[in-house]
Amino acid sequence: MHTIVFANIISMMAMSVTLTMSKTNVNNFAAATYGTVGIYVSFTCIKIFGIGLYPSLIFSFIVGGIIGVATHILLIKPLKNRGASTREIMIATLALDTVLIALLNIYADFLNQTLKVMSRDFTFKPYDFSLYGYDGVFIVSSVILISILTTLYLLYTRTKIGIALRGMGENPSLSECQGIDTEKLSIFTWFLSGSLPAIAGSLFPVYYISNPNTSLFLGITVFGSSILGGFMTIYDATAGAYIVSFAQIYLVSFLSSIFGSWVLSYRFLVPLTIILITLLIFPQGLYGLPWKQLAEKLGLLKEKGEGES
Amino acid sequence: MIPGIEFFLTLIIYITIFLIVTLSYNLVYGYMGVPDYGRALAAAGGGCLAGYLPGRLMMLFLGMQGDYFENVFIIVNEINQVLRANPLLSITLLLLTIVLGAVFAGLLGLVVSFPILRGIRMFYLAISLLAIHAGFQIIVYHWDPIIRGEFGVPLPDPFMWIANYTPMGISTGVMRGVIIIITSGIVLLITAYYCNSVGKSPLGRLLKAVRDDEKSAHALGRDVNTLYLKTMAVSYAFSGAAGVLFAYYQGYIIGLNFPREGWTFWPLAMIILGGLANNKGAILGTSVFITLKRLIIFYKSDLEPILPFSPIWLDGLLLGLFLIILLIYRPRGLIPEESELPFDKEKILKLKEKK
Repeated sequence: MHTIVFANIISMMAMSVTLTMSKTNVNNFAAATYGTVGIYVSFTCIKIFGIGLYPSLIFSFIVGGIIGVATHILLIKPLKNRGASTREIMIATLALDTVLIALLNIYADFLNQTLKVMSRDFTFKPYDFSLYGYDGVFIVSSVILISILTTLYLLYTRTKIGIALRGMGENPSLSECQGIDTEKLSIFTWFLSGSLPAIAGSLFPVYYISNPNTSLFLGITVFGSSILGGFMTIYDATAGAYIVSFAQIYLVSFLSSIFGSWVLSYRFLVPLTIILITLLIFPQGLYGLPWKQLAEKLGLLKEKGEGES
Repeated sequence: MIPGIEFFLTLIIYITIFLIVTLSYNLVYGYMGVPDYGRALAAAGGGCLAGYLPGRLMMLFLGMQGDYFENVFIIVNEINQVLRANPLLSITLLLLTIVLGAVFAGLLGLVVSFPILRGIRMFYLAISLLAIHAGFQIIVYHWDPIIRGEFGVPLPDPFMWIANYTPMGISTGVMRGVIIIITSGIVLLITAYYCNSVGKSPLGRLLKAVRDDEKSAHALGRDVNTLYLKTMAVSYAFSGAAGVLFAYYQGYIIGLNFPREGWTFWPLAMIILGGLANNKGAILGTSVFITLKRLIIFYKSDLEPILPFSPIWLDGLLLGLFLIILLIYRPRGLIPEESELPFDKEKILKLKEKK
């Protein structure tokens, strides 16, 4: 149950990275820190305003979305307008990540010193519920992930906005020539890329101790998932997140049962190794793998030419 | 509170050490355009070697017995007594560590260039290098045999002999600061001379050509991959030497001494502030930012009662904000990169006339 919850959380964050990369061509290093913003939005709702954990997800969604849009308007857009290179935009998002982490630490200090609220190394476990033996966070995170995947699938395949989004991702200039308002679509994409990790972040402290620097550790897993996914579709990102999360938890547990508990300290090497292997061996990730040929070889699909006559 | 002599000594030490880092980083990032966001690895390599090797070497040299890590404080104390009485041995140990630290960091530079040879560029390269540094940090922090993991190790002090030479009642601490400045100053001069020579040479123009259009440089017969390898190795070697100096200056090293903020992103901000592919700019950017950082640390206790948060977070906040503002409003830095001519203008005119 813990692993699935972790994978669901990482999936939503990896989707954010993949969305900004595939639709707006921006590598957003701050995506995991949007998750920490979500953690502190929920923390504030629970500890200061007395709102429950799950109702606080609405606020996380909105605040995360606003931060995503602000990133686009205040940072990415001015840089793109002056013709900044990909390298400069990358540094800008890294700088944003540093600013957000510093601001979250400042906010945590403010809560601690001024409002006398313990604002570091906390969990939301006491605010969770249980249904038929299943933890609330397991049910809610799974429902949210499936809802997001379904909604975005329908959006991309059944609506004009979705088709326009796909067009913008493939060729923004041509899309503009076709009369598509790429600015509105970018704002929509950035809203999603901020709100998805924020919701995921709100759920993270139920099982894991959290603080303003949580994203420093989560970021590696999130990027590992996105890279394994291939940065093209949210489904591949989700698959990548599940593989990385399961590897990080089960592989390390398995190795620690053989070699001893010291292996647990190296669990973050798993996503790092996945990143390096993916980039060196199949840089396009799961998306770029020849699935059709693979299925044909395994006999799951009829080989070319067979049955055509 | 007015800063005293110790503040200025620390400031100069930090500026000289970080100048070595930024000048060498500028070769890779500014001149060649490699998004090396794992640059902290270079200094960490040098620093970790300084934590691992000199104590053991001195144990061998002095014929000391026992497990180094089990009795590290006692052994280092005994080594320091010997070093205090023997300036020549101290200087030899210092030079040897700097050279070996540079070689080790240079080798790390070759290893991390592997993704470049595989054709990985831009974002994917950036994330690979970030990942490699993060992995190195995790291993060093958790694996005891290198530098005792999270506990860290004290280093033998090759500057201790200066305590025997304190003229006019100058304190040992001040004299130690002065000798560290002289040592790091010499390494800085070598680095600056090399980087400046490269910048003004055809090699510097080739590096810029690869940065601006790698395919064209390759099409014109340049061996781009070898160029990447050599530049990364040399640049990492200089930063590794800086890591050794920093470790010796601190006297103690743990795996978290070389975080990405301090040893990758701050140097990056320094380069961008000064101006890419511009050594004067790197010097200016480093001096400005290091002074600012040291002033924040110095006035930390004065700021604490005023601010409702710890002033240590100002470091990251200012780093990020400076970078963002620079990238939006001053992307070419305070001293923008100038187009370089292979000869002076008169010579070019003469060549034209000849034609």
